[in-house]
Amino acid sequence: MTMNRRDFLKVSTGASGSLILAVSVPGCASVQTGYQPETGEWKPDIWLELTRDDEIMFTLARVEMGQGTYTGLTTLVAEELDVEPGRIKVKFAPVAPEYRNPLFGLQLTGGSTSLASSWEPLRVAGAQARQMLIMAAARVWEVDADQCTTQDGRVVHPNGVDSLRYGQLVELADREVIRGKVPLKPRSEWKYIGRKGGKLDARAKATGTAVYGMDVELPGMVYAVMTRSPRYGGKASSFNRDEVIGMPGVTDAFITERGVALVAQRYWQARKAQQKLRVEWDFSDALDTNTEAVFDSYRQAASKDPGVKERSEGNVEKAAERAKQVVEAEYEQPYLAHATMEPMNATAWYRDGGMDVWAPTQAPDLGRIAAARHTDLSPGKITIHTTFLGGGFGRRLTQDYIEEAAAVAYQLKVPVKLIWSREEDTRHGFLRPAMLHRMKGSLNDGELTGWHHQIVGPQVLDWYVRNAAPAQYPWSPKFLYDTLGRVGLMAEGIATPKDISAIEGAIEYPYQVPNVSVRHTHTDPGVPITWWRSVGYSHNGFAVETFMDELAHESGEDPLQFRMKMLDAEPRHREVLERAARLAGWGEAAPEGRARGLALFKSFGTYVAQVVEAGIENGEIRVYKVVCSVDCGQVVNPRIVEDQIEGGILFGLTAALYGEINFDNGEIRQSNFHDYRLMQMHQTPEVVVDIVDSEADPTGVGEPGVPPVIPALGNALFALTGKRQRRLPLTV
Amino acid sequence: MAFSLTINGQRHTVDVDSDTPLLWVIRDEIGLKGTKFGCGAGLCGACTVHVNGQPARSCSTPVASVDGASVTTIEGLSEDGQLHPLQQAWIDHGVPQCGYCQSGQIMTAAHLLDNNPSPSRQDIVTAMTGNLCRCGTYSRIVAAVETVAGSVGQYEPAGEDA
Repeated sequence: MTMNRRDFLKVSTGASGSLILAVSVPGCASVQTGYQPETGEWKPDIWLELTRDDEIMFTLARVEMGQGTYTGLTTLVAEELDVEPGRIKVKFAPVAPEYRNPLFGLQLTGGSTSLASSWEPLRVAGAQARQMLIMAAARVWEVDADQCTTQDGRVVHPNGVDSLRYGQLVELADREVIRGKVPLKPRSEWKYIGRKGGKLDARAKATGTAVYGMDVELPGMVYAVMTRSPRYGGKASSFNRDEVIGMPGVTDAFITERGVALVAQRYWQARKAQQKLRVEWDFSDALDTNTEAVFDSYRQAASKDPGVKERSEGNVEKAAERAKQVVEAEYEQPYLAHATMEPMNATAWYRDGGMDVWAPTQAPDLGRIAAARHTDLSPGKITIHTTFLGGGFGRRLTQDYIEEAAAVAYQLKVPVKLIWSREEDTRHGFLRPAMLHRMKGSLNDGELTGWHHQIVGPQVLDWYVRNAAPAQYPWSPKFLYDTLGRVGLMAEGIATPKDISAIEGAIEYPYQVPNVSVRHTHTDPGVPITWWRSVGYSHNGFAVETFMDELAHESGEDPLQFRMKMLDAEPRHREVLERAARLAGWGEAAPEGRARGLALFKSFGTYVAQVVEAGIENGEIRVYKVVCSVDCGQVVNPRIVEDQIEGGILFGLTAALYGEINFDNGEIRQSNFHDYRLMQMHQTPEVVVDIVDSEADPTGVGEPGVPPVIPALGNALFALTGKRQRRLPLTV
Repeated sequence: MAFSLTINGQRHTVDVDSDTPLLWVIRDEIGLKGTKFGCGAGLCGACTVHVNGQPARSCSTPVASVDGASVTTIEGLSEDGQLHPLQQAWIDHGVPQCGYCQSGQIMTAAHLLDNNPSPSRQDIVTAMTGNLCRCGTYSRIVAAVETVAGSVGQYEPAGEDA
């Protein structure tokens, strides 16, 4: 099966929790456009706002969590409006159907889709606004609009001398009507796209003035901490209220669905009271598992149930019977936490028949549903104010922290900020699922004739649909929320897109092999999971590209040549692999004590090949260098592409070297950065990012750097030691 | 209890429990939000400030232990609305991604340069490696610090907190 771009978009839609039923959203346009004489503001569309005073505002509907939308998307609109991106002020979008991500039908940021989904609409918005300003100026001058040009926020007269500022034209421009399509700038005229432009949020972030959720401050605000069941699913039945309520600063203490809430005038007072808290838990529905039990259950499921056929060509069983050599391997990947630097938090204020929520969220419309669940309010009465996000990586697509803040605020009627500690963030999050992979390859004299891949584990949509389904139907009565969630799951693949979160990256296996089979054995041990930077690709990348390396070695072939000979039909795969190999000096001897490994993996439409050079130093794995070639189509800002790919590589290396969340009797063992380690500066390798020059439509870069680096490192260690590691994290 | 602190050159008296970490005094009593909460255990460095000219993890520094001290936060690193050379370098190199750890990174780097205006790369890595960044901006941080350190004659330790 080959997948074209259109197929990919369809499939990735399903992967990311969308529940687009065949019902269109009623015409509930909520964003006002046009000219406001009182304020002198002109909104040509839902994205832009230009004032008489020459201020230009852009509404950013994809949140900024470090991946660069703040700069990248502003650049798109600036290019066509013909103003320097730095002149544009950026506002975070409110919840409105107009701001939904068209690929999901939800207002969420994820799946490395922001640039791809904005590429056309934002340039069109900029071009139309510019055209209306030109038409207004032409009318003033009584000249032909086609003869006018623009320069840095001014319309220039055909005589090349006179000009009018955009601000002078906004009122007139509002009366202009565009007929037909406004042409977009040809590539040759781009001033900002494709250049290493500055980051528009760098100044705020270098001076400490960028406002994250954690930084929201409201008059009379109190602080809340939540004590959650140490085992997922446990419920608080009672606690020593009399004791904690008497502690300094403590104003409230009560049981919520999520645990025991403690409220105090100051954060530290709430934390101190928490140390004295004694809770009786009802563990009757609580998780009671440990890591090895999860993998045992996966192995049992794998043996009992061959799984749903997700891709099938030829006959892998026959291929195996006829093969001279059959190679089998089993790979295991642990649960992983996101460890955003900003722990989960949200601030909520219930007043005057409505609620305001300030939160670092990747999905404001889901956040609204999350808050509505815990109040008597309809979603329309809840306003979500999105802040900067101190990292996201998928964690903030799940809105549990907003549910908590809303539940507490609903009781208090004063503004409340609810803050998770790092330990709570590590122990009570939603995780990248642990997964098991069973592989079988058939080799005949160096020819790979059969590829069988059985994926064993849960799928994310099962855990995500709870708030995602109602968010698509915010007008539906609240008592239907759970029904919507259940319908969404039951109708998966029929009324809703198929959930491919477990199989993405495996079904797109790119190598030309006559017999291919990919199956998914769906089993869910009840551990809460969510999206995690690169999602299914994160574990399928390791399984596919490690097994390819094993097969290359079994057939006595160079891992590069072994792959290349099966990629005749995949020119973009070939190109990145060839480039990375060449840049890394593949085939030349590595420095003493080091070895190289490579991997090739396409995710989110972006082609990535990486070569890792690694060794062992002082009893620890040491990564010296990572060379990465990437083809993400048209590049908007090379600096951001480099950053995202390099950041993804370090994210993947962190998982490969340290990443492991383990359970003992239903409780997570890890707690803070000492036992859930992140890569540090002194462990960071040299990273070379090589970007393919391309005019293809842009694809995402936030996630695709992650998957290949994990198998590339494992393959390098195999080359070094001769010992194959099939379970993550990698060890010496 | 009342404690007296000089923060970014201004004297403040705060009335909080004696074990309250300096971080929450700076953030919630004084209202300076540039110093971040990351781990609460001195493990990540997002909360780094200077106490009497020395870098300190404010999340695990009880306010009672710094009574009377002079504290510099990211907001006080530069004077007269000017950017500190490191802040300018952070902008020029486009260091921040999510940005949450960067106040702490810059405070650690500023202390390094105050004591060693021409650090080697190894000096930089040794000084900075305790500051975690989940986005992976480490190579940009090194480049930004090297730019400032390499501008001979331009970077002069501010003599802050002296």
